[in-house]
Amino acid sequence: MRAGLMRALEWFKARTGLDAAISGALDEPVPGGARFQYVFGSVLTFLFMQQVVLGILLAFYYSPSAADAWASTAYLNDQVRAGWFLRGLHHNGSSAMVVVVVLHLLQVVWAGAYRAPREVNWWTGLAMGGLVLAFALTGYLLPWDQKGYWATQVATGIMGSVPGGDPLKQVIQGGPEYGNLTLTRFFALHVFVLPLVLGGLLAAHIALFRRHGVTPPANLTDAELKKKTQPFWPNQLFLDVLAMAICAAVLIGMTVHTHGAELFAPADPASNFVARPEWYFLFLYQLLKYFEGPLQIVATVLLPGAVAVTLFALPWFDRATSRRASARWPALSVVGVLMAAVTALTALAITEDARNESYQKGRALAEEEASHARTLALEGVPPPGGIAVFDNDPKQKTRKLFKENCSTCHTIEGRGGDGAPNFDDYNSREWLFALVRDPHSKRFFGGTKGHTQMKAVPVADASDEQLHEVLEYVLSLQGPEAGTTDAAMVAKGKALWDSKLECTSCHEVEAGKSDTGPTLAGRGTPVWIARVIRNSAEPDLFGETAEMPKFADKLSPEQIKALADFIYSQRAAKKAAH
Amino acid sequence: MSGNRDLSESAESAESAKSAKADPHEKQPEDMSPEGESRRKLLKLGIGALGCGLAAVPIVPALGYLVHPLRLGPGEAGAMVPVGKREAFGAVPVRVDLYADRRDAWSRETNVKLGSCWVHVRDGKLQALSTSCPHLGCSVDYDAGEGKFKCPCHRSAFDLASEVKGGPAPRSMDSLEIEEKNGLVAIRFQRFRQGVPGKEPV
Repeated sequence: MRAGLMRALEWFKARTGLDAAISGALDEPVPGGARFQYVFGSVLTFLFMQQVVLGILLAFYYSPSAADAWASTAYLNDQVRAGWFLRGLHHNGSSAMVVVVVLHLLQVVWAGAYRAPREVNWWTGLAMGGLVLAFALTGYLLPWDQKGYWATQVATGIMGSVPGGDPLKQVIQGGPEYGNLTLTRFFALHVFVLPLVLGGLLAAHIALFRRHGVTPPANLTDAELKKKTQPFWPNQLFLDVLAMAICAAVLIGMTVHTHGAELFAPADPASNFVARPEWYFLFLYQLLKYFEGPLQIVATVLLPGAVAVTLFALPWFDRATSRRASARWPALSVVGVLMAAVTALTALAITEDARNESYQKGRALAEEEASHARTLALEGVPPPGGIAVFDNDPKQKTRKLFKENCSTCHTIEGRGGDGAPNFDDYNSREWLFALVRDPHSKRFFGGTKGHTQMKAVPVADASDEQLHEVLEYVLSLQGPEAGTTDAAMVAKGKALWDSKLECTSCHEVEAGKSDTGPTLAGRGTPVWIARVIRNSAEPDLFGETAEMPKFADKLSPEQIKALADFIYSQRAAKKAAH
Repeated sequence: MSGNRDLSESAESAESAKSAKADPHEKQPEDMSPEGESRRKLLKLGIGALGCGLAAVPIVPALGYLVHPLRLGPGEAGAMVPVGKREAFGAVPVRVDLYADRRDAWSRETNVKLGSCWVHVRDGKLQALSTSCPHLGCSVDYDAGEGKFKCPCHRSAFDLASEVKGGPAPRSMDSLEIEEKNGLVAIRFQRFRQGVPGKEPV
């Protein structure tokens, strides 16, 4: 059996040249011996491969369309087993790549590995660094959540603000505004174009690396290097794999600690989300704050462009005759200053946000909204997708019901008609006060045809103080729903009611009794409101003057109750807002 | 010129790298010694172990992740869907589309087409037969000329009693639960496993 297996293996090796390929890949001498500072390239290759595997896994559930992107991401994150872990690892993997790219770059600069004859290797490396950022930029739009949507708006906005950049912006985002084509394009770039280009550059980068070998410490003589030479396999590869394992352990730790990647509420073009880019773009974001108006191009194009040109030209800028770090202080200080500037800008962006109260508030609100949306998404997202998830909210359903049945005449939350009383702040003390002083204003019965009987109560009949006392009494008639009422005011109000004012000629205060005006017993409670919705023409309600359609047959008892509770809650809503 | 100096320096190191490659063992005394050999063996073991660990990081969770659809279980039979008045149906089969609410992975759809069935009266009884062929799920048609149900894909044929009258179908057409109340007909849509002799819901 074993012999047969070995023979099969030999046959396969002979036909494919597999062992020659493997030994060709592994039998590389490392002059000066294996070192930990050589691991960064291998770690990046590992991270890239892991991102590819994770990306393919995510594509098993993700759907790149404006209707489905958020819902499918929420589904794979919150409902598919281990989905949160794989997505979190992919998300954190991008951050890890940025970090290791920077470490790799710093090591290369410190060792002088950008110098002749490795210039092309340096350039392919820089290009790949740029691609890692392009991956990040195209990737975090894909969930179509608030963060991805708004942060990417800024990026494409910058593209459009550059002279001649508008056509480019339109091509990349697939039209004058964000939509399905933005997602399909970013998806195609993120999962096909960028990986292919990066893969090609990586192959060239590794081939060039093999051609020129590692750049050993400059202080060792050739003789010492030869003496200390170790093979790549297994000496250097062990260090490489060890570094990969450390990196993977950190990634797993981060992912488990935060239970995966953040997913904000679905993209809402009408919201005012506090947009911030991923942490590795914060320095560019911060830079934008310093250049206003026509100078913006300095921060968006000129400075980043100058930095890129400087880095690409570093092999020529560096005129030192020796590769020793001490001889290359101009090149090292250029890169050092760049890194310091990027770090400082990032730190500024973070501390400014930490001190910015409105940002912190907006952020907390966004997180609350996100968890609400994701809870609602567990029931399934209605076909329009994205923000339609909020239709699952019972309150939203009631709002819709109100819009369909009531808003032609009534206003709520600032929207609706003025053919009947406005329900914003409905039944608050202020609302009642204004009603009694001027029942025929548009806010109350001014828009109706028949409700003309009630007379306004002017200051001459009741001072503000007296009216407040009367209304406290009227409120108290609601029973427990009135909340806390001022007992002394209620007593004074009742006295005024019985003696001074003429309200009693139309309004009853005892349950079951009817007069020409609606009863004030329990007036304004959910039960009373539900009765009005069912049939406002009941004798103890608006009687013959009623104009409102009867909804008893049109809506179910549950719907009527939901509407009544919703209208009743308007007073509480106003209170909570204060 | 500094450029020349650079090139010569690196040419030299490339040279040294090449010579090392030509004969890797000559310059590696450490690896020739027994301690070197055992150390190398340890490193190789370490690479194998760590490598397997790294591969496991995405692969292990991916197993549960990819087979998630298995956890969704057999679909529940939907609600009874009203399809029309009793008078609309007679001895000649009528094709009826069935609409109902549905969960489809992340989306929740209301009143979408789930499938269809043939409805006709046989021996005084209403009968609903799913149009999904029990062979491989093509949509079974009714041939009024021959008075038979025929599958357009693999020539399965069924009589009005739903029995197989030719072709590869392993069982008769699947009947659906049908109900008549106050002159209205309602049907419960359901899918069944294809290609097996028994009628099992999926």
